[in-house]
Amino acid sequence: NALTGSPGDCLPCPCPDRTTCAQVPETGDVVCTNCPTGQRGVRCELCDDGFYGNPLGWGGKVQPCVRCECNGNVDPNAVGVCDPMTGRCLKCLGHTTGDHCEKCRSGYYGNALANELNPERKCKPCACNVAGTSGSPNDCHPDTGKCVCWSHVTGRDCGQCETGYFNLQPSLGCEMCNCNPIGSSS
Amino acid sequence: RPTPDPNVSPLPPGSHILFAQSGKIEYIPLEGHSLKKNEAKTALHLPNHSDQSSRSLRSDLFPAVLNLCSPEGIAVDHLGRNVFWTDSMKDRIEVSSLDGSQRRVLINTDLVNPRAILTDPTNGYIYWADWNRDAPKIEMAYMDGTNRRVLAKDDLGLPNGLTYDPQTSLLCWADAGTHKVECMNPQQRGRRQLMEGIQYPFGLTTDGKNLYYTDWTRGAVVVVDRYARREVDEFQPQKRTRLYGIATAHAHCPSGQNYCSTN
Repeated sequence: NALTGSPGDCLPCPCPDRTTCAQVPETGDVVCTNCPTGQRGVRCELCDDGFYGNPLGWGGKVQPCVRCECNGNVDPNAVGVCDPMTGRCLKCLGHTTGDHCEKCRSGYYGNALANELNPERKCKPCACNVAGTSGSPNDCHPDTGKCVCWSHVTGRDCGQCETGYFNLQPSLGCEMCNCNPIGSSS
Repeated sequence: RPTPDPNVSPLPPGSHILFAQSGKIEYIPLEGHSLKKNEAKTALHLPNHSDQSSRSLRSDLFPAVLNLCSPEGIAVDHLGRNVFWTDSMKDRIEVSSLDGSQRRVLINTDLVNPRAILTDPTNGYIYWADWNRDAPKIEMAYMDGTNRRVLAKDDLGLPNGLTYDPQTSLLCWADAGTHKVECMNPQQRGRRQLMEGIQYPFGLTTDGKNLYYTDWTRGAVVVVDRYARREVDEFQPQKRTRLYGIATAHAHCPSGQNYCSTN
């Protein structure tokens, strides 16, 4: 305020690179009006949408704004895909999860980092065979998709009996064939 | 070749184009239907979420800012004094009074990426666009959420921007997937293409004669003459970051009545 007539009337703007600022008349708050490219916020302390960092080093060391890394698992038409301070991805697609959408969500398996245009193909549902699995149908190995099978049950989804076994029954698994070795051809 | 419509009403003085960019809302005055680009200024600096005190202050003033995930579109019914918004994470459309009270969910089914939303206060309709990559669509409903109808679902890509001109009853959208601007009269259906080969539209608005859209690739507000069907001007802010929503602000709201203003 240049009208009070004291030496401290005009103070330098608390903004990076000597950029301009303005004072909100009602509250007296000072906001920066021309933040450097890629920065925003009252004091230019935040990164633009899609970028993260700590350009002023508030509460830590200075980290310039860099593009968020979500491993291609966020939609380029989406807004606010990541946290502007931590870079944590907030809108992972195709059943991916993690701070950088780098792994498959619980209940899915595959490679979230695969070079695959269709995100739905990266992480596939566990879909374990209800009869053959001793765990939940959504419980499988995150990479291989192998479900937890009852005894003598096999296959990725626990949908088949081991050789020499038959009759897959819920909660029981597969029965031994018990063929007479004399009468059998194998 | 379409002739310019002689019935385009002149804009009242004091009209502006507003657009959002990087935590700010900028405005450009309109004179006639031209942008007074050298008078563009910042209208509003938005308090940001690194500042917790301003956030709680705002939720005191307007309780509806609580419990939002990704609100990407907002529209006001100035006759009913209500505000409608889309949330693309919660996949729903909500409404509240302008003071934030009386909040409720209007629509929460068959939404994936709802973004643009607008009102037709005189007729009591809302329109919105969903840019769901698997099944994009443009829909309408009454302001109470009933009588929901799909207006367009074929040959759409990423319909980011949507605008309605009450003078001509035309709903227009800007599509970043098909790179087109198309229009339709929602009561008569039948689509017509207004522009093609545009780059990456995000927000869209109209003043009756021109369409104005923000473009992510060009980092500009692009002005299209609706009747000549060609680009007539552009405004590129100094700051080179993405431009988001855009709106036309008139000095006075058109008067009228709808069922939300009467009960």
